[in-house]
Amino acid sequence: MNTTFADNAPDSPRTDAAPAAKRPGEVLLTLVRRELWEHRALWLAPLVVAALLAVVAAIGRAHIQMDNAPDLSSESQRVALFSIIQVVFAVPLYIVILFVAGFYLLDCLYAERKDRSILFWKSLPVSDGLTVCSKLLVGLVVAPFGVFALALLAHLILSAILGARVALGSLPPVITWNSYEWLRTEAVMLLATLFAVLWYAPIAGYLLLVSAWVRRAPILWATLPFVLGPVLEWVAFGTRYLLNFIDYRLGGIWAILGVERLRILSKHGPQLSVGTALEMFDFRGALTSIDLWLGLAATAALVYAATRIRRYRDDT
Amino acid sequence: MTAVIEALGVTKNYGATRALDDVTFSVEAGRIVGLIGPNGAGKTTALKAILGLTPFSGELRVLGLDPRTARDALMREVCFIADVAVLPRWLRVTQALDFVAGVHPRFDRAVAENFLKKTDIRMASRVRELSKGMVTQLHLALVLAIDARLLVLDEPTLGLDLLYRRNFYDTLLNDYFDKQRTILLTTHQVEEVENLFTDVIFINHGRVALRAAVEDLGSRYQQLTLAAEQAEHARVLQPFYEREVFGRVAMYFEGRSAAELGAFGELRTPSIADLFVAKMQGTGRP
Repeated sequence: MNTTFADNAPDSPRTDAAPAAKRPGEVLLTLVRRELWEHRALWLAPLVVAALLAVVAAIGRAHIQMDNAPDLSSESQRVALFSIIQVVFAVPLYIVILFVAGFYLLDCLYAERKDRSILFWKSLPVSDGLTVCSKLLVGLVVAPFGVFALALLAHLILSAILGARVALGSLPPVITWNSYEWLRTEAVMLLATLFAVLWYAPIAGYLLLVSAWVRRAPILWATLPFVLGPVLEWVAFGTRYLLNFIDYRLGGIWAILGVERLRILSKHGPQLSVGTALEMFDFRGALTSIDLWLGLAATAALVYAATRIRRYRDDT
Repeated sequence: MTAVIEALGVTKNYGATRALDDVTFSVEAGRIVGLIGPNGAGKTTALKAILGLTPFSGELRVLGLDPRTARDALMREVCFIADVAVLPRWLRVTQALDFVAGVHPRFDRAVAENFLKKTDIRMASRVRELSKGMVTQLHLALVLAIDARLLVLDEPTLGLDLLYRRNFYDTLLNDYFDKQRTILLTTHQVEEVENLFTDVIFINHGRVALRAAVEDLGSRYQQLTLAAEQAEHARVLQPFYEREVFGRVAMYFEGRSAAELGAFGELRTPSIADLFVAKMQGTGRP
């Protein structure tokens, strides 16, 4: 009775050959892959939209009313139209990833507590800081810049399809390919993506915090303060500071960059190419904007808070 | 022998409820320790404190580290199976292997794959497609392949049928345990695993009710079975618990010798399950 199986256990000496820790880069890469396994909408949704755009490009018909037709008499206007189409193709992809990444950030720290899988993730030697950072990285870098790359690729494919149709005579030859403007337009979109990421980073941090904090209904908790806050302020004080602040955090960066100075479209159709934004945009002003950096500091604080909550919350 | 776990006055409150009340114990390397207690006794809270999953007050060292501050370093040496529900349902078997291989420096993928080959689990399956027993096998495969020093199991076989339960513990003993490793296990099914344990810790109302090596139980506790009419005489020796079955009385004593008790009836060392029931229900002194 008093001897147990364990007494016959082998006495195998431990091998300490294994490294003490994985390199952080390898761990981070694994964590990012993990996010893409779980949240497949992050890459499936943009791919589906890109495929739909390709179908539209292949079979869509362009009806041009002659009296409303844009003025495309000059070469510069044709180039401008070329660059505008390049952006227009990218817009649906960016809209989709905005929603998908937003819901992803709001869900990621909540879902792992809801299905209790957090206990499995926490049984492995990965710090809470690295885990939360991997989710921020997916939401703020992998998703938006992934969509930038996808938009670039999709545009090339769409251009090939449209070019083939023009060659076959099923579309009028109103667009001319211009490699220099193509590159400049891509540069504008890349920079716009970068500034959008920097400016909207605190929103991502806020979504992560809500995700780590709420016990249920994350969407409700994430939106409630932004609806109730301004309403209560207006009722109590008759002021709109909160509403203005929210408005500023949503659109402020574009005003700082100087979107209103662009002359890409006029009443008569395309005027200047999208690439002119490279000269028009106030990149220095945006980079030195105190509000941009305050936002990034707020992001760091929000992500730190989310990490602390994930580390010490015990509700499984 | 160095202590793998050393707890000194560990206390944890959930609001007004005291989940752990001044808990003190130590666990040495190469032991299989059963942490046994009724529901709500504080078993899971104790495990969570050891794993750094919950804040607490008091002193606690696990492999020489404070789980509150050195959690990440600790988890390189500690493995943990909470219960079958914690593997995410969307995870594929291959993804589980990829993930652990990507983050754990002590994971040997070949070991996990060899174990999985002996099961009915297909590599392409998602966790949601596996039966409860298979999910536990998958988790066990991951844990077996990690060269850890401490394995913490919280009701690992809850809700599994007998074959899966038996296989789980056999694998644990044959393919995992050695004298350098330590296993800390909580379970309800004490009878089934009691000859697995080298040590037991009984916990009740957040307090340690008994802490002993199994080989010492015989000299500390005695179970005396005797005819009901003899019971009155034996009661003088102050059993801490007694129960009556089919006209025979089983009495449980602490620190009595065979010479004192032998004359009354049949004497033996109580099983861990019997001792547990006696300790939990016999808190009222004789």
